[in-house]
Amino acid sequence: MKKLLVLCLFIFGLFFALSNFQGLATQGTFDSIVLDFKESVPETEIAAEIEAIAKQYNVSPRLNSEFSRSDNLYIVKGDKNLLKNLKKSGLAKETEYIEPNYLYRALEVPNDPNYNQQWNLRSVNIEQAWDDTKGSGITVAVIDTGISQVPDLKQTEFVKGYDFVNDKVDAIDDNGHGTHVAGTVAQSTNNGYGVAGIAYEANLMPLKVLSAEGSGTISDIAEAIKFAADNKADVINMSLGGGGESQLMQEAINYANQKGVVVIAAAGNSNENSASYPARYPNVIGVSAIDATGEKAFYSNFGAGVDISAPGGSTKDNKTGGILQETIDYQTGQPIFDYYQGTSMASPHVAGVAALVKASGVNEPQEVLQVLKQSARKVQEDPLNHFGAGHLDAAAAVKLALKGQISFRDFFRWLRDNGYLNLRFWIDGGAVALLPKVLMVIGSYLLAWFLRNYFPFAWSWSLTGGLVAGSSGLFFLRGIYIFDLPQWPFRVAGSSIPELGNIVQGSSVLNPLFASVLIPGVLVVLLLGHPTWKWFAIGSALGVASCLAVSAVLSPAVWGLGDGTWARLFLIANALLCYGIARLAAKPSEQIA
Amino acid sequence: MSKTVTGTIERQGFGPGTWALASDDGQTYELKNAPAELRQAGVKATVTGEIRDDVMSLAMIGPVLEVRSFELN
Repeated sequence: MKKLLVLCLFIFGLFFALSNFQGLATQGTFDSIVLDFKESVPETEIAAEIEAIAKQYNVSPRLNSEFSRSDNLYIVKGDKNLLKNLKKSGLAKETEYIEPNYLYRALEVPNDPNYNQQWNLRSVNIEQAWDDTKGSGITVAVIDTGISQVPDLKQTEFVKGYDFVNDKVDAIDDNGHGTHVAGTVAQSTNNGYGVAGIAYEANLMPLKVLSAEGSGTISDIAEAIKFAADNKADVINMSLGGGGESQLMQEAINYANQKGVVVIAAAGNSNENSASYPARYPNVIGVSAIDATGEKAFYSNFGAGVDISAPGGSTKDNKTGGILQETIDYQTGQPIFDYYQGTSMASPHVAGVAALVKASGVNEPQEVLQVLKQSARKVQEDPLNHFGAGHLDAAAAVKLALKGQISFRDFFRWLRDNGYLNLRFWIDGGAVALLPKVLMVIGSYLLAWFLRNYFPFAWSWSLTGGLVAGSSGLFFLRGIYIFDLPQWPFRVAGSSIPELGNIVQGSSVLNPLFASVLIPGVLVVLLLGHPTWKWFAIGSALGVASCLAVSAVLSPAVWGLGDGTWARLFLIANALLCYGIARLAAKPSEQIA
Repeated sequence: MSKTVTGTIERQGFGPGTWALASDDGQTYELKNAPAELRQAGVKATVTGEIRDDVMSLAMIGPVLEVRSFELN
C-alpha cells in the first residue's frame, strides 16, 4: 500500500513539477513592451508606424536609449492586452519581435513603508537571505512579556503559547517589550504596512514570564523553556537576564537542547565583562549588541558568554539609532511604532536568522551555532570579545546552511543561472530539444526526494552525481562544438546511462541493453558495500528510472521494439524495476536483515 | 538578602523604560515594586530592600532590588 502511495505521489509530483516548471518560464511582470523593427524597414515607414500606434492606443513609443536607433528598438508602455493587440496587428510583419519588457528585480526589497528606517536589517544583510527562505515551517518561542497582535503582526502565524505570570493560555503583552522583540523576529512583511521582520513566515509562540513591570521568576522562565521544547518550538529567544546560577534553569535549557531547540539569549545591558544568565549557560547562544556604526553598543555586556553580536541600537543620542518595530504603548496599551535599544533587541535578530538557518535544513543546535559563527562577519580587532564570532550575517548564514544540501530551490536556481528559465533561450536558442533532459533531471530529484521520506538519508555529492549520470548526463555539453575536435566526447559526457548505447553513433533510438535496469542493477550490486559509492548507485538507479519514464512518454524509440506500445511497456517496466532496486538499496541494512 | 543602597534614581531606556538606582559606589540596581515617590528621575534616596537572585528582567542593568522601605535624601 505504502509503495503504491509513493508511486502515486511520484507521478503526481512529476506532473506538478512540470506544470510549475513551465509556469516559471512564463511568469514575470512587465509594464512595457519591446518592439524591434526589422533593419530592412525604412526609417520613414517606422516613423509612420510609431505614429499610428501612438494614435490608436494612446501611448507614446520611444527609443529604448540613444544606442537603440541603429537597431530600431522601441519601448511602449502597456500591458498584456496591448501586447496581444500589437502581435495581432500588421506590425508583426515589420518587426523582428514584439515581446514583454520583463522587469528584473535583483533582491527582495519589501514594500513596508518604514523599512528604510530599519538600518539593522540591512546591517545583517537580510535581503539576500530572503531570496532563499523566510523561515516558513519554523516556530520561534518568544519568552518575554507576552505578545499583543498589533496590526503589523496580523499576517504573522501564531501557535499556542502560555502566560506563566497570570496562569492563562492567552499570553497578551502588558509591557511592550515582548511585542517589540516578536516584531524583530517575524513582523508581518511585504504587507504594505509598517516595518519588516527577519523570519516573517515563521510561527511565533508567545510565552509570558515577565510582568508588566518587566521582571519574572526563574521558575516561570524554566517552565516556559520546557513548554516550548514540548510544544515543538525550533528556536527560543530570551531577551531577559539577571539573577544567579540556577540548577532548575540549566536543566530546562539542557532539556530543550536535547530536543533540538536552539536557545538564544541577550548578553545583558550593564556594560560588564561577561554575559548575564541565561546567556552564560552552556547550550545558550549569547548575543551582544552593536549600534548603527557597528561598534559595541554603550550598554552591552561583553567577554565570556558572548557568541555573536547583532544590532541592538542606541537611542542615547538619537531615537532613530534604535531598533524600530510595532509594539504597544506601555501606558495606553495602544499599538505604536517605537525605537527600542538593548541586547534584548540584538537577541531576536539572531533568533530570526537561526529560524532561517533551520528552515534551510540545518537542525542540530550545535550545527546551527556553527553556521551562525562561521558565517558571521569577523571583526579584526576584538581583544575584549565585544562581538564573539563577529557581526551577524543572515545571507551568509543561509548560504552556508544550504551548502552541500541539494534542494529543489538549488536546482531551479541552477536552471535560472544557466539561462534555462529565460523564455528567449527556449524560443531562440533552438533548445526545445533540451526539455526532455530537464524533465529527466527533475524526475530523478523528485524520486530521490520521495524515497527520502521513507528512509531518511542525507544528500551527498555521490547521490547527486548518480542522479545526474542516470537521468541526463551533463546535457549542456552536447551543444558544444569546437573546431577540429571530435564532438563525440561531448555527446558522451552529455548523455545519461541509458543513452550511452546509442550516442556514440549519434542515433536517438535507445539501445535496450543500456536503456534498462541492467546497468543500475550491476552498479547497486557492486557498490552496495561501499558507504559513499552506494549512493552513487542509488542515485543512478533513480536517475535511470526518471530517464526511462520520461522517454516512455516523449520519445519511446527502442532498437528492436519500434516506437509504439511495446517500446513504451519495456521502458516503463524497466523504470519501475530501477526505482525498486533503489528503494531496496536505500533501506537501512538492519531492515533488510 | 537584605541590602541598603544610597544613590540617585534614574530612568533607563530599556524596553518601555526601567527605574534604576545608581548607587554612589558605581553599581546600578534595577528597582522592583518602586513606589510613586521613587519613580522620579534625579531624586536622591536611600533604599532598603531585598536582592532578588531568583528574578530575571528585560532591563538586565544590574541586580534587582525589591523595595521594602526608602528614605528621600
